[in-house]
Amino acid sequence: MAEHEIKQIISQLEKPHNLHQAPKLLSKAKLGLLHLHALVPSANTSPQHILLATTVLEHGALLSIRLKDTEAFTRYYQQLQPFYSLPHERWHRAGKPRNQSKVTGLYLLLLLSVGDYAGFHTVLEGLEMSSGKEHIEKDELIQYPVRLEQALMEGSYDKVWGETKGERVPSEEFAVFSEVLIKTIRSEIASCSERAYPSLQISNAKNLLFLDSEGAVIQFAQARGWVAKDGRIYFPQQEAEMLAAGKDVMSSSNTVIENTLGYARKLETIV
Amino acid sequence: MADKMDIDAANGDKEEEKVGPAPNLPAERIITNNFNLINQAVDSFDARFTLRALRSIATIRKATDFPEALAFGIRTAFPKPQNNARQVLEEMLPEDVRSGGAQQNGGGEANGAAVKEQDVVEIAEVWVYLGLLVQVSDAQYWVYLFDHQEYQRGADFSSNFVDKIRSFNRRTMDPIGAKAYFYYALFHENLAPLPPSEQSPVIEIRPVLMAALRSAVIRKDDETQAAVTVLLLRNYISTADITQADLLIAQTQFPASAANNQVCRYLYYLGRIRAIQLAYTEAHANLESATRKSPTAGPAVGFYQQATKLLIVVELLMGDIPERSTFRQPSLEAALHPYFKLVQAVRVGDLQAFLKCVHAYEQQFRSDGTYTLILRLRQNVIKTGVRMLSLSYSRISLRDICTRLHISSEESAEYITAKAIRDGVIEATLDHTHGHLITTPARDTYSTTEPSEAFHARIEALLGMRDECVMAMRYPMNKHRQEIAEAAKARERERELAKEIIEGDADADDGDEGGFEGM
Repeated sequence: MAEHEIKQIISQLEKPHNLHQAPKLLSKAKLGLLHLHALVPSANTSPQHILLATTVLEHGALLSIRLKDTEAFTRYYQQLQPFYSLPHERWHRAGKPRNQSKVTGLYLLLLLSVGDYAGFHTVLEGLEMSSGKEHIEKDELIQYPVRLEQALMEGSYDKVWGETKGERVPSEEFAVFSEVLIKTIRSEIASCSERAYPSLQISNAKNLLFLDSEGAVIQFAQARGWVAKDGRIYFPQQEAEMLAAGKDVMSSSNTVIENTLGYARKLETIV
Repeated sequence: MADKMDIDAANGDKEEEKVGPAPNLPAERIITNNFNLINQAVDSFDARFTLRALRSIATIRKATDFPEALAFGIRTAFPKPQNNARQVLEEMLPEDVRSGGAQQNGGGEANGAAVKEQDVVEIAEVWVYLGLLVQVSDAQYWVYLFDHQEYQRGADFSSNFVDKIRSFNRRTMDPIGAKAYFYYALFHENLAPLPPSEQSPVIEIRPVLMAALRSAVIRKDDETQAAVTVLLLRNYISTADITQADLLIAQTQFPASAANNQVCRYLYYLGRIRAIQLAYTEAHANLESATRKSPTAGPAVGFYQQATKLLIVVELLMGDIPERSTFRQPSLEAALHPYFKLVQAVRVGDLQAFLKCVHAYEQQFRSDGTYTLILRLRQNVIKTGVRMLSLSYSRISLRDICTRLHISSEESAEYITAKAIRDGVIEATLDHTHGHLITTPARDTYSTTEPSEAFHARIEALLGMRDECVMAMRYPMNKHRQEIAEAAKARERERELAKEIIEGDADADDGDEGGFEGM
């Protein structure tokens, strides 16, 4: 009976228009799962229940992405973990979870956009251990965040830009992250440009920063504290750094004195 | 007091002679000698004798008649066949050994009577030691028989064994107990399905190891605490549960007085975890200590090789190139060959060579567990390439950079160089209009504080090492009391001597002997 309810809710969730009612439906579904003792997989949960639970949780995860609720997505992901780590025998009668790679790929992308590279690599290591490299290499949904991370680390931001545009994105949920990613790389490029260029023409800056118009460039420049004059942008930070470097020699003499006193003390203890 | 000390010293020497040429003795004699060692350890409360006994395990294993020797040892320790402890041990031995030894039993009975009274007291340690040997013998069966049944039996026996050990609360048993946990974990690691599958039985032994860790800490049992912590870390890493391993490290303290090989292992696992979490500097420090403390020759050289491999990869990830002298060491040369090729590719900054090398040695890297780390090296290759170009050219066009580094487009090259400048890899500026990378002339490093900082780091490390050595020096217990007693005795004798001299002088007043004394 509860199963039937849950199946109904699932079919409702799969219709594309119910985005705002989704949270309510999901809570009802989760209650149903609790009745079936299927929210957390145990040794005697039947395969059908496992499949039901996984489907509900996966829908929850995908919907929270569409609603841009990252906390809820992370929660659903954690809840899905025990299901994904079950061995194949528990699934064989009911079939495999359909959206496992998608959810994992989305989680990786979330970690990337937040800048948590340590977490990214940890999850990737776990994936490689459990599914094996060949499986992962063929899986486009997981390769997408991996490629993005490589490009980000290298610094070839134009590749990142290309990946987030249009056709290369595997599915619409990934597109939600594209905005966040573009903002991230824009600030990265900005900080790189500050150090690398003495000054830059505004038209060039427009191309570099992937901005649409020169007005947007000027806005961006003002937000970051750059000076815009005569169609060029000047980056002021560098001179301040040179001054700071000059002061270092004075303060470093303090350190040298401290260190030498330390050596003298330790040497005295050597018999 | 002085006499007793001399006898002890002589005894110690004799012990050395007995255990020293151990390879020539038959395994049975070694086992019975070890009983004496263990008894001594319990008497003098000194862990060194137990450690010596444990060290001989390695030599005993290789003896061809190990099961028979073990049976003989069991019979010598527990002469009564109805003894419960003995039966538990004998169950684990193979059938033929049990029956074949029955004839020896008659001979054993004769000295059994003499031995009986002695080892009633020390039975616990000896029993545990024999249980350890049985585990070792079971572990050996997977060399001889390749039979999975033995793993299962070994695992079951280990579980019961470990439970019984936990119930004992005797400090003298700590080193043996620690070893027992080691074999317990080893058995479960080899049961199917093997890790890193998520269903591996290693996950089941985690609660047991945790409980053991708790009791070890409560009882202030440093040996077991160190051994079990290391086993847990190994467990977590084998199933890639890095976050759990990290939590374990954060919540527990590794005992500072643990044995050197446990410290080595701990540092190695710690380095691995940090490397995966991208904390390369920490990982580098840990792995360097691990390689320095590890034995570089003999059967344990495998650990040194593994630790060095990981160290090399972490150094590459940090952007430093490992020295060539590391690869020339005789024990490492063959094992490190793929890594040598890797370092060469990274050093030059050649992306194609790097990818080819990774592809060629993929299997090797996977089995070393360094494959995922090496994949991260891709951006290091590019950075090194950029650095090479920046050092060699004062001005180079972006198009040339593209061609040299095999980068797909000029825009990418521009972004990559900008990022490199931001990260401090090179000191240069970009000229966007002409599309050039212009290197700023190098500053004189001796005018900055860099040399003194480098010296400071090295001096700190050496001073720290010296402090550790001083703290690790060992003095025999109660020696100072004996010294005090000695000094007291010496003073007594001097006083008596002085009294005699005075009395002698008083006596010498009569008689002509006074004259001779003058001469």
